[in-house]
Amino acid sequence: MSKNSAPRKIALVAMLAMAVLVVPTVTSLPGGMGGADIQRAGCTCHGTLPSSSVEASISGLPDSYNVSETYNVTVSFSGGPSTDGNMNLGGFNLWASDGTFATLDDSAQLWEQNTNEVAHTESGNDQRTWFLQWTAPESGVNVDFILHVNSVNGNQGNGGSGGDMWNRADVTVLGFGDPPLPEVDPFKVLATLVVISGVMLSIVVMYIFYRKNPDSFDWENFAPWISEWLTSTDHKKIGTLYFVQGLFFLGVGGIMALMIRMQLAVPGNDFISQDYYNQFFTLHGTTMIFLAAMPLIAGFANWIVPLQIGAPDLAFPRLNAMSFWLQPVAALLIFTGVFSGQGADTGWTGYAPYVVTETTHSGVSMWAAGQLMLVASSTLTGINFLTTMAVMRAPGMGWFQMPLFTWSILVANLMLFLSIPAFGVGLIQVYLDRTIGTAFYDVAAGGDPLLWSHLFWYFGHPEVYVVIVPAFGVISEVIATSARRSIFGYKSMVYAMAGIGLVSFIVYGHHMFTSGMSPTLRFVTMLTTMLVAVPTGIKIFNWLKTMHGGSLVYRTHTLWTLGFLVTFTLGGISGMFFPSMALDVHLHETYFVVAHFHYVLVGGTVFGFFAAIYYWYPKMTGRMLDERLGVLHFLTAFISYNALFWPMHRLGVVGMIRRTHTYYITTDDFNALPEWAADWNMLISISAFLFFASNLIMVYNMIKTLVRGEKAPADPWGGWSFEWMTTSPPPTPSFDPHNLPELKDANEHVANEPGVFGQMFRRLMVEDDTTEGGSH
Amino acid sequence: MSADYHDHDHPSPWGPHDWGHGAPHNSWSPLVMSIGIGIFLMTFGGLFTFSEFDMWYLPLVIVGIAVIGAGLFVWWRQDMSFDGTYEPMSAGVPFKNIQIRKVGMWVFLMSEMMIFSSLFSTYMRYRQGIPRCDTVFNRGLFDPVTNPDGWQDGVAVTCFEPASHLIASSWWHIAPGAINTFALIISSFTIVQALRWAHKPVGSVDEEVRRKRVYRYLGATTILASLFLTLKMIEWFIGFHVPAIDLIGLHEHEIHSLYSEGYLINNDHYQHHDYVDEATGAHMVANIQVSATLFYVTTGTHGLHVLVGIIGLAYLTFKAWTGAYNPQSAVSIEYFGLYWHFVDLVWVLVFPFFYLY
Repeated sequence: MSKNSAPRKIALVAMLAMAVLVVPTVTSLPGGMGGADIQRAGCTCHGTLPSSSVEASISGLPDSYNVSETYNVTVSFSGGPSTDGNMNLGGFNLWASDGTFATLDDSAQLWEQNTNEVAHTESGNDQRTWFLQWTAPESGVNVDFILHVNSVNGNQGNGGSGGDMWNRADVTVLGFGDPPLPEVDPFKVLATLVVISGVMLSIVVMYIFYRKNPDSFDWENFAPWISEWLTSTDHKKIGTLYFVQGLFFLGVGGIMALMIRMQLAVPGNDFISQDYYNQFFTLHGTTMIFLAAMPLIAGFANWIVPLQIGAPDLAFPRLNAMSFWLQPVAALLIFTGVFSGQGADTGWTGYAPYVVTETTHSGVSMWAAGQLMLVASSTLTGINFLTTMAVMRAPGMGWFQMPLFTWSILVANLMLFLSIPAFGVGLIQVYLDRTIGTAFYDVAAGGDPLLWSHLFWYFGHPEVYVVIVPAFGVISEVIATSARRSIFGYKSMVYAMAGIGLVSFIVYGHHMFTSGMSPTLRFVTMLTTMLVAVPTGIKIFNWLKTMHGGSLVYRTHTLWTLGFLVTFTLGGISGMFFPSMALDVHLHETYFVVAHFHYVLVGGTVFGFFAAIYYWYPKMTGRMLDERLGVLHFLTAFISYNALFWPMHRLGVVGMIRRTHTYYITTDDFNALPEWAADWNMLISISAFLFFASNLIMVYNMIKTLVRGEKAPADPWGGWSFEWMTTSPPPTPSFDPHNLPELKDANEHVANEPGVFGQMFRRLMVEDDTTEGGSH
Repeated sequence: MSADYHDHDHPSPWGPHDWGHGAPHNSWSPLVMSIGIGIFLMTFGGLFTFSEFDMWYLPLVIVGIAVIGAGLFVWWRQDMSFDGTYEPMSAGVPFKNIQIRKVGMWVFLMSEMMIFSSLFSTYMRYRQGIPRCDTVFNRGLFDPVTNPDGWQDGVAVTCFEPASHLIASSWWHIAPGAINTFALIISSFTIVQALRWAHKPVGSVDEEVRRKRVYRYLGATTILASLFLTLKMIEWFIGFHVPAIDLIGLHEHEIHSLYSEGYLINNDHYQHHDYVDEATGAHMVANIQVSATLFYVTTGTHGLHVLVGIIGLAYLTFKAWTGAYNPQSAVSIEYFGLYWHFVDLVWVLVFPFFYLY
């Protein structure tokens, strides 16, 4: 560039010198300059070629403009023949492809009444700088500016063919991207959604019905079949429905995560606009927690809990159906905003006061309404399961004979049941603030945004245990069966889970360390949060000890369990960084947090679900899953999962901020990320796609074996809790209400192991019996 | 095929159930009600958007409520045939031989307690955190030198104005709330009477007398609950007229509703006749949005529980009118009674906190 321009510059300087010599004085056209050809042909007023010795500049224009905003624009030039002291210095012409100009004084005029073209006037001939105003258009398109300036050195009157020079400058001001989608009537959106999903769903359902029995593909056979699914109150059918919903939204949430990762793959990316990015991460969080994880838990709980405690069904079958059917309707409401470009953009935490301000998307109201229905659903589920487990255990099954999965559901539902009303009240407050205009979180009226944080996290922290504790239960079941022995320390497992449930209510303050909460409360929640590691550590120890004392059979579900132990322990360790207030202030709102909670929610909860799917699928469908595909799924998923989330720890430590739609790298700026952050982000994005794809192996496996799989026996793995005593799949009702099974030895260790506390007290009480181990 | 199992006992998931052999029973009700709730919440968000009212959504809101009602109707139609012969009992310890539905009701009340605890937490936060309006008023008129903390004429102050400042200002103002308190307490008594009559052993009482007593007591409960809501509407929106009674020296005067006093969730320029500086005539105006919000939402949530109770009582009264309650099936009244006593209890807390103090 510089090589080529050097001779050209010399030539131009020579030309300039000659021009100065030939025509010593000229004036800029006094009437202004302009005309239809100026943008294409250049200033034809004096000479045909632009001169690079004149530098036109325009300042005051933004990089991208806001709709209808007015900007003060300064047009000026430097160089050329004009010199101080001359009568006439120069002129200009500025043309814009859109928007309107306004003049501020008589030094400039609108050219021939075009609002998009402005030029100097005769009185503006004596200056090199002009001040204008430009008002941006409403359309949002990019605007091109073409500026011509004319530098003269004369005061000799009009005209002249030399002694003046002109040049041109081009500026493009970006619009704000695509014009915003118009707000759509929510009712129309809902109607459209209902129709579209209804059509898609009915096609799928009809295909499944067709595959069942191609000969009886008619309305007479179809109507009772479909109404059976829509009206069923059988816990197994509802469990399956939950399951289908959960897996569907796991996929939806996963696709949203992939969009997010595509955006973050390279720095400074603009694949997804900020506006859409906000909606994507909000709905990714909401979908994964409330529409994927919770229904999957409810699905397993529906299927397995009545079977494990020997109950014919849940206590309130019709309420159970109600719990389920609230969920798909709620999902429709939550997603309403997305299809009008007005989805919730508050983050899944929906922090006040942003959540109640009018600048948020209108979809936030529907998001709150949908979650309100999910709260109702969870409350009904809680009533149902707590009652069922309290009153419908088979004869002979005391509290401490319940299998650990059932215990985990009991603890999880108790936590959920006692915490979710606070969230429900918070949502009602937000919904009312957004609809009838109450003032719960109106800061101007004295509303307190921190109150929302309290209500939300009083629920939100138990909630994250609600989704992890059932995974603990699954792991306990699977590890005991795979190790071919009873679980080590059954009672300590129960106490540990109960302890987690208890502590979960007094730790939530650690989510608010940087919110300005009272230092005393911060200190208390710091200590209690660290306390959570104790029961969790006990559980990890017991699982390891179970494997140590047993002989492990490596099935797919065993592999997932081992994977769970690794990833969950890592996630637990990274979680121990946050209770420390000093560290939390540094790590807060960075990708370290993202890495931590994905390690426990994906590496913990989702891995636990995968173990459960491989473990109970034969019981639910009567078909064995393909073990080879299962191992392939585990290996690819485990590796890509770690490549996906592990680097986030490092990115977080160096300061990559979560919830922002892009990031910048630089070599010199202290505030931006180092250059290698871009490489790590690319790796993360690639791994995300691999992780997503690897899970499709499981979906394929499930569909394939459902159609033509090996028939499953009643007890394929050698488990000994109640669910393995019925056929695969179980009959309806699952157990005969008048002839319930009787518990013999579901947890044989209870009979011959005194348990942790029992041993401790025995040692304390009877001094001379210390050499003897347990009793016989 | 599992559908045969259900078809055999239950010809239609719309129709009445045969409760003789236990669960499960197919039902359209959950699906219909869920759709109704979805329509209601969706269209209500259109009816009011940041307190802007859009009439066009009103029919749709009504459709939503109608669909919920239809679902509820199906639910009750299926329950109508329940006569208590198959009352599911607990098998496991520690609730052995206790009705499962009773345990479920107590568990439900736990979550109700959490709901009202959260509302009261919100109330306490704002009651403690925002200075009271009369405290602010007593600071006196603003003066840049002598009283920089004072209030200015016509400039709204954000402060907490308890509804009790209006309500507890006279016996007449407090009358609707006080009558309501007694109405609820008496209704708790009448529903226990209904249960008592339904419980009387067969043969000790004439069946026709039992039927009449049970449905009349339940009907009385319904009427008292309706009285509660009616008085609440008078207190909130309508107000009433006190005639002159010379005998006790009573002057004719008007008791204004909270609405006409301007005690509203969107009032940021509230004026109370107390808040006038006598020397200058300056009037303190207050932003009372948070106080009014707390009052209306908390007492409104309780009112909603009363409304749900009325709907439930309507069903119970109708079923009692058909003579369905006897010692075997009387427990249904007991379960509803648990809920009703809870609603009563909540009012006993709401009344002092929002009406008196």
